[in-house]
Amino acid sequence: MSNIVNVKNLTFGYNTQPILKDLAFELPRARFMAIAGPNGAGKTTLLNLLCALLRPKAGSIEIDKKNIKSYPARKLAQKIAVVRQEFVPVFDFTVTEVVSMARSPYLGTFGFEGKTDRQFVQEALKLTDTAQFASRPLAELSGGERQRVFIARALAQNTPILLLDEPTTFLDLKHQVDIFDLLKQLQLEKNKTIIAITHDINLTIQYADIALLLQGPPSCDYQYGGTTDVFSTEQIERVFKAKTAEVSIGGKNFYLPLGKFTGDNQHITRNLTEPQQ
Amino acid sequence: MVETLTVKKLTGKILICLAALAVLMCICALVGTQSISLSKVMQGPGQTDPNIDYQIFVGVRLPRLILAALVGAALACAGVTLQAILRNPLADPYILGISSGAGLGAIIAVIAGLSWTFLGGSPLTVCAFLGALATVWLVWCVGTIAGKHRVTSLLLAGVVVNAFFSAVIMFLTSIAKSSQIRWTVFWLMGNITEKPWHILCVSAICILAGIIGLFAISHRLNLLTFGDAEARGLGVDTKKTTLLAFTFAAFITAVAVSLSGLIGFVGLIIPHTVRLLFGPDHRQLIPLSAIIGSAFLVVADTLARTIFGQEQLPVGVITAIAGGPFFLILLAKYSRKVSWLK
Repeated sequence: MSNIVNVKNLTFGYNTQPILKDLAFELPRARFMAIAGPNGAGKTTLLNLLCALLRPKAGSIEIDKKNIKSYPARKLAQKIAVVRQEFVPVFDFTVTEVVSMARSPYLGTFGFEGKTDRQFVQEALKLTDTAQFASRPLAELSGGERQRVFIARALAQNTPILLLDEPTTFLDLKHQVDIFDLLKQLQLEKNKTIIAITHDINLTIQYADIALLLQGPPSCDYQYGGTTDVFSTEQIERVFKAKTAEVSIGGKNFYLPLGKFTGDNQHITRNLTEPQQ
Repeated sequence: MVETLTVKKLTGKILICLAALAVLMCICALVGTQSISLSKVMQGPGQTDPNIDYQIFVGVRLPRLILAALVGAALACAGVTLQAILRNPLADPYILGISSGAGLGAIIAVIAGLSWTFLGGSPLTVCAFLGALATVWLVWCVGTIAGKHRVTSLLLAGVVVNAFFSAVIMFLTSIAKSSQIRWTVFWLMGNITEKPWHILCVSAICILAGIIGLFAISHRLNLLTFGDAEARGLGVDTKKTTLLAFTFAAFITAVAVSLSGLIGFVGLIIPHTVRLLFGPDHRQLIPLSAIIGSAFLVVADTLARTIFGQEQLPVGVITAIAGGPFFLILLAKYSRKVSWLK
């Protein structure tokens, strides 16, 4: 299988100081990739580069074997759908209206949806379980419901790649898991390539196949590989400057952040190897 | 099945609204200080003795009604567009300096005592039109050079230019002769008068072309209201679309302003009314705002010329009296919404 995203020697900075330096990775089709890293490490910057909102200072990004620069806006919108951090639009659009906008890259001059467009919209509403509030204004929904609507919109866009910027930031535990379940389902059943920025290492370990751990300036180091290879107590301490306890569930290691006031718990097998400063 | 806007549904709504507008215009044409009867108008100009009813209808009331309808349509559509591209529900067609630019052009024409005509347009009309276009061009240049937060810098540039040109207008007014002032003041308040048919034809073509242009990009305006990044993610060339929308809106506003002066509030309240009635989809917001804006200004102008008998009010007074309270209600509604979010 060919790689759907191919990033070569990517460098970018908003001023002279680069945020991303010589970043390179190849992402095969239909994988779930997580982008992790501390605040300011360039996660959202990378996402904006991947959807051509920003232009690389050096290096290149290939989407489906073609340089991202060679895509007109409409064609790129047929390859990549983006779900940004949740927000409420200025005007009271209904859920159906918002999801229908996903068909924009496929519409003719005056922009009216046809029969196939409506089918895509309906399917997306059904898959994300948002059909029940299809005619309600977006502003009336809860954060989790709104997030599902934007995922529905990304689905109706019918693209092989989904980019998501912290899709679960403001959600409670159940909704976090629901969103990741939905994304995993889309990967497995619809062969979508999912690229999601996330702060939650443990959800990443559960759901993602591949992880990109960005360290940010000044070193701009990164680790890329299978999720279990990328994360370890030492690695997390080094990148996030946070101590964690390793917990093993079902053969996978998870990481519990430890603060100053965390008590010593018998059930947690704490990793005692003190890292070198 | 999913409820979406189809061409058929939209055409139906447009036709119903157009029919209502036509009926309304007929009624308004028959209302006035001089009462006329429709049956007598229908008899035509008359062979030997002139048919007064027909002359009033065709020579005085009809051109005025058509002008009111055109200006109403232009201002309402421009309001919709600017609210979309600035993502600001309180924007109106004048927010980016068009009003002060046109005002400055007009007052310069009056003070300089120009007397030529261009394509049948008076110096005041032509100068107001050029002033309006020059100002929005200036605001656009300043706003886009200023930085990446295009919306904010456009708004700021508009406010600053408005303030500066208003000061210049005040200065010019203070040194002008009082005979010159009266006309300018009437113009600044927004005033609809009878215009010759050829001017009406030219403006009708300009305004309709602008509205059709806006309609053609209306589904992209929907996406623009979600912000630059979102719209680009959905394949919209935001720079091009914003520029097109801005150009069309500025052009039809400039045409409207140069014909009728600064009629306020139409461009603010009509978009909101139509949005409340039909939802925020710009594909129907543009055509329906045009029709309802026309209807509103036709009624407002009929009131302006009849309410005090022979004495005519500037129509801007009527729209401001109706629009002021509406604007306050709107402001209260939106600020409450914001505090809910906090």
